[in-house]
Amino acid sequence: MAGLVLKGIKKSYGDVQTLHGIDLEIQDGEFIVFVGPSGCGKSTLLRSIAGLEEISAGELYIGKKRVNDEPPSKRGVAMVFQSYALYPHMSVHENMAFSLKLAGASKEETNAAVDRAAKILQIEPLLDRKPKALSGGQRQRVAIGRAIVRKPDVFLFDEPLSNLDASLRVQMRVELSKLHGELKSTMIYVTHDQVEAMTLANRIVVLSAGRIEQVGAPLELYHRPANLFVAGFIGSPKMNFVSGQLIAADEKLAQIKLKSGAVVKAAVDARRLKPGAAVTFGVRPEHASIDVEPGDSTMAGKIQVVERLGDTTYFYLEVAGSETSFIVRAPGDKHAKVGENIVVGLPLQRCYVFDEKGQACPVTW
Amino acid sequence: MAIVLDKSHRWRVVAAHLGLIAFISLCMFPFLMILSISLRPGNFAVGSLIPDQISFEHWKLALGISYQAEDGSLVTPPFPVLLWLWNSIKVALISAFIAVLLSTTAAYAFARMKFRGKKHWMTALLLMQMFPTVLALIAIFSIFDYLGSYVKVLGVDSHWALILAYAGGIALHVWTIKGYYDTIPVEIEEAAVVDGATHWQAFKYVLLPMAKPILMVVFLLAFIGAIIEYPVASVLLHQEANLTLAVGSKLFLYEQKYLWGDFAAAAILSGMPITLVFVLSQRWMVGGLTAGGVKG
Repeated sequence: MAGLVLKGIKKSYGDVQTLHGIDLEIQDGEFIVFVGPSGCGKSTLLRSIAGLEEISAGELYIGKKRVNDEPPSKRGVAMVFQSYALYPHMSVHENMAFSLKLAGASKEETNAAVDRAAKILQIEPLLDRKPKALSGGQRQRVAIGRAIVRKPDVFLFDEPLSNLDASLRVQMRVELSKLHGELKSTMIYVTHDQVEAMTLANRIVVLSAGRIEQVGAPLELYHRPANLFVAGFIGSPKMNFVSGQLIAADEKLAQIKLKSGAVVKAAVDARRLKPGAAVTFGVRPEHASIDVEPGDSTMAGKIQVVERLGDTTYFYLEVAGSETSFIVRAPGDKHAKVGENIVVGLPLQRCYVFDEKGQACPVTW
Repeated sequence: MAIVLDKSHRWRVVAAHLGLIAFISLCMFPFLMILSISLRPGNFAVGSLIPDQISFEHWKLALGISYQAEDGSLVTPPFPVLLWLWNSIKVALISAFIAVLLSTTAAYAFARMKFRGKKHWMTALLLMQMFPTVLALIAIFSIFDYLGSYVKVLGVDSHWALILAYAGGIALHVWTIKGYYDTIPVEIEEAAVVDGATHWQAFKYVLLPMAKPILMVVFLLAFIGAIIEYPVASVLLHQEANLTLAVGSKLFLYEQKYLWGDFAAAAILSGMPITLVFVLSQRWMVGGLTAGGVKG
């Protein structure tokens, strides 16, 4: 059990810099998720923590110890790989016992540790099998079991569920959550799937192009995104963005004129921007409402596509000033046809305003 | 086989089979010819493929047994063929073993480690081996002649000298094994390293067991290469008792008299160890050793 401190971690391959100074403090027992699009450096950061990649600059502490120059085996970490990376020539038992065998543990000790891990993961009947006789989900359990056996201070997961099919992924997600509750170890989990991030994490670290965009609890990121990137990344379907112009701002409210000419209000403090500044107005599909009368804080759009999921329906609207379709969530039985014009209500306490650099204006609710 | 076939398909199958049979006959003919010569009385290179009369005189000589000739005289084996065979097997086994040992470790370095000029070293290795060994014969001879004056066991006319010379020819094996290592996902070894393994332990416990098939292939290639090698062995080995079978068999063919029959028997004998090693090694040459390790 240990916390981690990352101080200005940089990583470069030759001239290409992939991590641009990562500062982060991870508490003991926390479940931290690194999330970001592919190529954002999240896996590199995880591998640097594991010791599989050298850190180019900065300092890494696990517990109280500076581990920059320690080999992976001395860092007290265990890692679960995306591809499982089981030892194909060893049985499940041998796979899980490998680290203890290397450490020179006694047979009784090893067997006890393996049995305990197998019990937690419910893979006891599989112990004598080879990995190739296992299904994808079982293999991933063995890979996790191999990590548990080591009793590491820190668990590292590198997209462990992305090779599983959708239903198994949901099941394993729940089990990982339970596992964290049982073991209470520090866990660092890398994923590109924001749903996994939202459901598993105590805190999420959103990364983009080798930089931390925002760190915070799932709901904090959802309700108070720091910038356009986080706002667009967290939440599904993603937040709608419409470009516009700031008309007026006081400490409680900002008024924005959208490209279509509609004037909308958002409960944000945009006083640091001058009236007339170009801004991006954002609202999530689930917060925009339809079935409203035209009036204050509304805008009109033409339906392009209707997606019916049963319990909900998504309307994809064509709206001036929005590069992609403006998505609105409606109840499942809501009737509207493609080509119709509908009016969308924009509740001011659920709207966001971003400046030209993509930074969010602080919300005032 | 539920694919719907064209009507002309049958004739194409027949034609393909005929072609294959003709090709196999072409491949088999030299072997059958040598077998026939070794079983034919007298030493004639030409004659019918199926001998009119079968005689084991050449085989007796090859196996070191004397026989009574038709005129009543006792014919004793002219050369120690079985000893040569043993020499060949000994040299081939040891040098193949050393070749595997050196090339697996070298290939590991080339496949997994980062060092300056890696690519160029790989190419250089291959280029150097592209020159025929014959071109280096004088060099090889003088090197071992010189070595012999300091280390007796590595001098000319010593099997260890020959083994050392053969062990130098591993560049191709390094390439072969490196190619195989490259297909094994590196995550598996990374997992071992996180599990607490050193580079050496990851290599020994994780990579090597998965690479068994290619190691057997390389062992077999090195073994065959050593058994059939002639030029280097002929330069380094002189005394009759030291010769390998490939070099020794040549003694059956001297200018005045070509003992084709005895030569044929010895030639077939030299194929035996290769066949045996091949059959034995086949059980390790199986695919799918890495199956299940990573998501395919």
